[in-house]
Amino acid sequence: MRLRINWSYILALTVSIAAALVIGAAILLISGYDPLKAYAAMLSGAFSNARHIGDVLEYAMVLCLCGVACDIGSRVGIFNVGGEGQLLLGAIVAAQIGVALNGLSAWIVIPVAGLGAALVGGLYALLPGWLKVKHRVNEVITTIMLNNIAEFVCEYLAKGPWKNPDNNIVAGTGNLPQTYWFTRLATGSNLTTVFFVATGMTILTWYVMQKTATGYEMRLTGDNPRFARFAGLKTDRIVLIAMLVSGMMCGLVGMFRVYGAEHIYKASISNDYYFEGLMVAMIAKYQVLPTAVISVLFAILKIGAQGMETAAGVPNQIYLIIQTVVIFSMAAESGIVSDIKRRMADKSARLAARQRAKEGAANE
Amino acid sequence: MQETVIRLEHITREFPGVLANDDVSLEVRRGEVFALVGENGAGKSTLMNIIYGIYPPTDGSVYIRGKKVETFSPRNAIELGIGMVHQHFMLVPSFTVAQNIVMSREPRRAKVFFDNRRAEEITRQLVKEYGLSVDPSARVQDISVGVQQRVEILKALYRGADILILDEPTAVLTPQETAELFRVIRHIIREKNMTVILITHKLGEVMAISDRVGIMRQGRLVGLSDTRDITEREIASMMVGRPVLFDKLERSGEPGETMISVEGLSVRDNRGLVAVDGVSLEARAGEVLGIAAIEGNGQSELLEAITGMRPAISGRVRIRGRDSTGLEPGQIRALGLAHVPEDRLATGVDPLADVSDNLLAGRQRDREFNAAGGLRLRRSSIERYASEVYRKFDIRGAGLHGAVGSMSGGNMQKVVVAREFSHETPVLVISNPSRGIDIGAIEFIHTAIIEKRNEGCAVLLSSADLDEIFRLSDRIVTMYEGRITGEFKPDEITKEEIGYYMTGSRRKEELAPNETAD
Repeated sequence: MRLRINWSYILALTVSIAAALVIGAAILLISGYDPLKAYAAMLSGAFSNARHIGDVLEYAMVLCLCGVACDIGSRVGIFNVGGEGQLLLGAIVAAQIGVALNGLSAWIVIPVAGLGAALVGGLYALLPGWLKVKHRVNEVITTIMLNNIAEFVCEYLAKGPWKNPDNNIVAGTGNLPQTYWFTRLATGSNLTTVFFVATGMTILTWYVMQKTATGYEMRLTGDNPRFARFAGLKTDRIVLIAMLVSGMMCGLVGMFRVYGAEHIYKASISNDYYFEGLMVAMIAKYQVLPTAVISVLFAILKIGAQGMETAAGVPNQIYLIIQTVVIFSMAAESGIVSDIKRRMADKSARLAARQRAKEGAANE
Repeated sequence: MQETVIRLEHITREFPGVLANDDVSLEVRRGEVFALVGENGAGKSTLMNIIYGIYPPTDGSVYIRGKKVETFSPRNAIELGIGMVHQHFMLVPSFTVAQNIVMSREPRRAKVFFDNRRAEEITRQLVKEYGLSVDPSARVQDISVGVQQRVEILKALYRGADILILDEPTAVLTPQETAELFRVIRHIIREKNMTVILITHKLGEVMAISDRVGIMRQGRLVGLSDTRDITEREIASMMVGRPVLFDKLERSGEPGETMISVEGLSVRDNRGLVAVDGVSLEARAGEVLGIAAIEGNGQSELLEAITGMRPAISGRVRIRGRDSTGLEPGQIRALGLAHVPEDRLATGVDPLADVSDNLLAGRQRDREFNAAGGLRLRRSSIERYASEVYRKFDIRGAGLHGAVGSMSGGNMQKVVVAREFSHETPVLVISNPSRGIDIGAIEFIHTAIIEKRNEGCAVLLSSADLDEIFRLSDRIVTMYEGRITGEFKPDEITKEEIGYYMTGSRRKEELAPNETAD
């Protein structure tokens, strides 16, 4: 509850990232690229101008909200792997609302679209939550399956009833009227004013989880549901609400993508963004603030890698290599750290015992 | 004097942050019962685990029959003739007695096929040799705990053990089964000249069966004596490190109105079998009603059904006159009930949260702890409340912000009791309050329970420890296979006699559920 800085965690994360960069460099070297040049291109790809910085922040926002959605589930002991489906459904519903309500004021359409996206995402998450609570159905399996279903439903809608009549190349909804677009913060980038809303959502989630009785109850439920119920909490309801909110957040990410970046629903509205967010959440050990920080780090790597591809001709898959090495190292971290600690403790104990024995002998 | 079979020299074992054994030197001789006593966490089990080879000592040496042990592994210990019966039995429930006994050294036909007939023959032979009676072809899941223990002992004997380590062997036994176990121990020592090391914290048993006793406290061996030269009281003071006075608990007040009333309650256990079968009972304000039963006779399910942790199949529960059947635990708590659960780690705490957050559980919505109309937890008030409770209940160890999961059993139990006893609740349901905790903490918790009783609370107490039941209860009911078999005042029956009611071999007919229904 209190803000504590976990230095060993920060150290482990730094070492992981450094190791990942070294391994990435080795691969670059073997493939015949100059790693220093490639990394320099990566940095300039992420920071060289306002457009790049904007893209980094936009991508960080998407990762962060997805990660936070995952954090909310994890806090009550449920692993929402279905965010991708919730996101897609939110995106398509929000896009279609914009198309269908064309002509009405943005002050009406945007809130309605946000509400619609949140509702459909939330309800889509509520289903596996309900199955888990009432029938003990494993949520990991149901949410993964529901991802596929959502994908197919969206494909059907985008090719069928909600198809864009003016576009026969890409399957998607109609174009979003320009009056509803979020205002760009940097020319040419996808960063829009919704960034502030996302920041607010992240801070609000952090506040609720850390500072309120609700967050406390969520934590008890996640740590030991039997104890939570024993202490008088309505654990089923807490899990359902957390799942609803997690899904709502994913639905809103879909809406943000449509109204901020793409201005149309198409299948590429999310390129497994939720799964990347989930990775971030895992690395952040499901804590909100670290999720936000690591989102920014990963966004720098990802957007930078795209710049590196254009500037230095290095395939941006190098980003995936770095990302997976970081995840791998962090997953191994807790085990390795405790192992090292145990060995050090054993050794010092042996020394202390010898010392005591020596002193004992000297005294006699 | 007989030869020394085990010699420990300066054994030290350290775990991260804990000195479990600190320079322990000790000898055990052939043909004796050596009792090792101490509070929980005193290092008895660590010491035995070193002898049994589960882990090596950090420093010091172990000699078995004069030979220094170089490799520490259970396999090696078994070869050296050491057998250990753990507190939790290591048996395969779906196998027969004979199959369990010969496991790891099974007789075979043509070197491949398991020879069941031969296994049963071996078992019968062991039974004859050592005087422990078991049915070789019975399945372990169908036999009682006492018999399972005999199977464990036979298993060790079959593997050639002549040094037997018994870890808290009587914790799960009835008085009759305990007497039988002691008969067996005396038999194998007299007839086979074996050695038995008995880990226990029941001092009565130490006096009854052991030849010598070693007393451990905080990892050290603080006393070593021939049993006949020492008194129970002396042993207890050495264990705790100060004189312990099991004083009579001061009782005051008269029983008042009925606070808990249970009528014809039936409940299923986790396997779906009927564990509580039409139980009726009442507990009144200002009295402790004790439930005496051997583990697994429905008392756990009964208490869980009363507190809402488990649904009932039929019957009614009333708490302070209000029908509470089928309510959630939170709703039942709101009627004025507090609950100290049987399994503190699984049910009683959030092991990952700190002490302060564990003490808060259930009161997180109280006005006292919330600011801004419930929008913010008031950390300073929580801190103040928690540190007050922490002091009052004499919790030690991790401090207010240490994780509860890393505390010792006794302190963890104090956290549970501190939380449950700090609510304003006239009804207390308590299950095994002193299981696995040390004498000092037991004394504290017993006093707290009687204080609550004297204040006018109704206390429903279930315990596997008969001494505890007799010490605390104003009335005792016995339970066997899900039914009430008798009701007594503690002064009108002995512990031996009540054992017959706990095993169903006697019952008070007038109390059978069918007759009491109307």
